[in-house]
Amino acid sequence: MAMTIDVERLGGSPPVAVVALAGELDASNYEQVIDVVRGAYDEGARGLVIDLEQLTFMASSGLFALHSAVRIMRGETPPDPEEGWSALHQMAQDEDSRATSVRLAAAQEPIARVLDRTGMLRLFALDGSRADAIAALQGA
Amino acid sequence: MTVSRDQRAIQVPASVDHLSEVRSFVRDCVAHFGGSQRVADDLVQAVDEATCNVMLHGYKGKPGDIDIEAALRDRKIEIRILDRSPTFDPTTAPAREPGSTPAPTRPGGMGLGIELLRSLTDEVHHSARPDGGNELTLVRAIDGPAQED
Repeated sequence: MAMTIDVERLGGSPPVAVVALAGELDASNYEQVIDVVRGAYDEGARGLVIDLEQLTFMASSGLFALHSAVRIMRGETPPDPEEGWSALHQMAQDEDSRATSVRLAAAQEPIARVLDRTGMLRLFALDGSRADAIAALQGA
Repeated sequence: MTVSRDQRAIQVPASVDHLSEVRSFVRDCVAHFGGSQRVADDLVQAVDEATCNVMLHGYKGKPGDIDIEAALRDRKIEIRILDRSPTFDPTTAPAREPGSTPAPTRPGGMGLGIELLRSLTDEVHHSARPDGGNELTLVRAIDGPAQED
């Protein structure tokens, strides 16, 4: 099953992009997510919601893409895939690195489980819905 | 005592474009064997991880094949992943200190590696194939979680 990515740009403060993933996120397509996030940042988005409602599978390469999204939204260079997992663990263990401009929304149970197992929920807030995530970013 | 009730197999080229085929195969096998959705989810995650590691770090982009076999024995699902890439035993990756930063499990290791495989399964075994390559076996009881959550 392929993955589709839908991007919605919202006004407001800060400008938020919602990236909705559908299907299966794996090693064959994770770079598409990184590219889309980079594009959204370059076009001015300073808050990012990754909507996982329609995502049915996330491999560890998907976790790497989420980590890269945090770095991009901070204006930093995303990590090299060669060092990705090590860097990701480092971040997950550092409370100060908890993402403030990236929120995850509406993960299905298997996805939420893999996020939890790998320590990613210490790094990301996971909201019940896209609307909740947007509201949290924009303080509405 | 051991009764081999059923066995299924698939062969895919060592390219990440074939991971979705591998996941479908595992999901179908678990359903066929009568495993729960939870067991299917965990084994799909584990086999994707292990197979992806072979593709990216075993074959390193060179052409090759990966055979995946699934069998039900004594209420346990056994999945074997067979390749012809250089011998690498992920189960010997050194344990890390709690709270420390782990090194990638192998050069270029983007994967979660052995820690995730262990958390998703009941047993992980590796053996070098006598005629070259690796055999990684993942075992998971058909009814019941791998461990506490």
